[in-house]
Amino acid sequence: GLRRCLISMDMHHIEQSFQGIKRAVQAKDTFQNVTILSKSETLQSIKPLDVCCVTKNLLTFYMDRVFKDHQEPNPQILRKISSIANSFLYMQKTLQQCQEQRRCHCRQEAINVTTVIHDNYDQLEVRSAAVKSLGELDVFLAWIDKNHQETSA
Amino acid sequence: MKNVLQWNPPEGLQEAEVTYTVQYFIYGQKKWLNKSECRNIKRTYCDLSAETSDYEHQYYAKVKAVWGTNCSKWAETGRFYPFLETRIGPPEVVLTTDVKSISIVLTAPEKWRRNPEDSPVFIQQIYSNLKYNVTVYNTKSNRTWSQCVTNHTLVLTWLEPNTLYCVHVESFVPGPSRRAQPSEKQCVRTLKDQASEFKVK
Repeated sequence: GLRRCLISMDMHHIEQSFQGIKRAVQAKDTFQNVTILSKSETLQSIKPLDVCCVTKNLLTFYMDRVFKDHQEPNPQILRKISSIANSFLYMQKTLQQCQEQRRCHCRQEAINVTTVIHDNYDQLEVRSAAVKSLGELDVFLAWIDKNHQETSA
Repeated sequence: MKNVLQWNPPEGLQEAEVTYTVQYFIYGQKKWLNKSECRNIKRTYCDLSAETSDYEHQYYAKVKAVWGTNCSKWAETGRFYPFLETRIGPPEVVLTTDVKSISIVLTAPEKWRRNPEDSPVFIQQIYSNLKYNVTVYNTKSNRTWSQCVTNHTLVLTWLEPNTLYCVHVESFVPGPSRRAQPSEKQCVRTLKDQASEFKVK
């Protein structure tokens, strides 16, 4: 069958960038009873076949909504966020190639997951939604780490 | 995973009889929950392993102090994500020596069990990218080297006969950095080389 589309990238650098802003960003998220990338309902239930499409959609979610909606006064945090955004840009290009080679098919299950996440985002005021999504980057990065290894099947 | 909340007593209350009460919160859920075994306690830690056993959820915890008729504000943790923040214990290490080699067999650490009767869950069932950092020290040459391995058996070759080697191993998972906890150092001596001894006589 077609070789799976995997992001072969050193995630450590991105994770380090997030670790540098995690406490500050999560502290701004005052709505503890709401999540955007909620765990069991969405990311953990995704099958290997849908990993590429969901990754692509979530990268677009962060690039086109979260990073744009978030207004960050602290220059150090802003620098880290920019670093993460640049890494996401690189990932998007990788997945774009996969799509051109027809190795990033989007089934309804993958589209449903993305829809749930956008709906969660829309239920909050936009600044709060952006801060919450930034604070949940560790969930997304851990999911990428787990699902984009050679051995993960 | 074993998750224990710890805190420092309030300053300036050494003489007072202070008790503490703990609550925890599952991120995305609706309300703070009591931890009954940690209500009005004197110790400054509370084991929340059972409450945080779903390692893919994220959690908050908070504690307040009570002394006489006084009560402190809640002191709250940041968001805690066991899957990324748990500290992974060392593997079990078994060494077998030969003349110029040492065989190493590693057994992954187990996930914390709520009940001793629960069947064991090994850490690599949770972290499929679990790796081991094997550090070897030659006590004769004072040389130290390390190897990163993913499987559970390893043979150190081209060693010196009749030499004491010390080994310790750390488990680690690629991703956000976590404090490693190395295994106990174990030292073994490679066997004597019978062949060279006959020539010498």
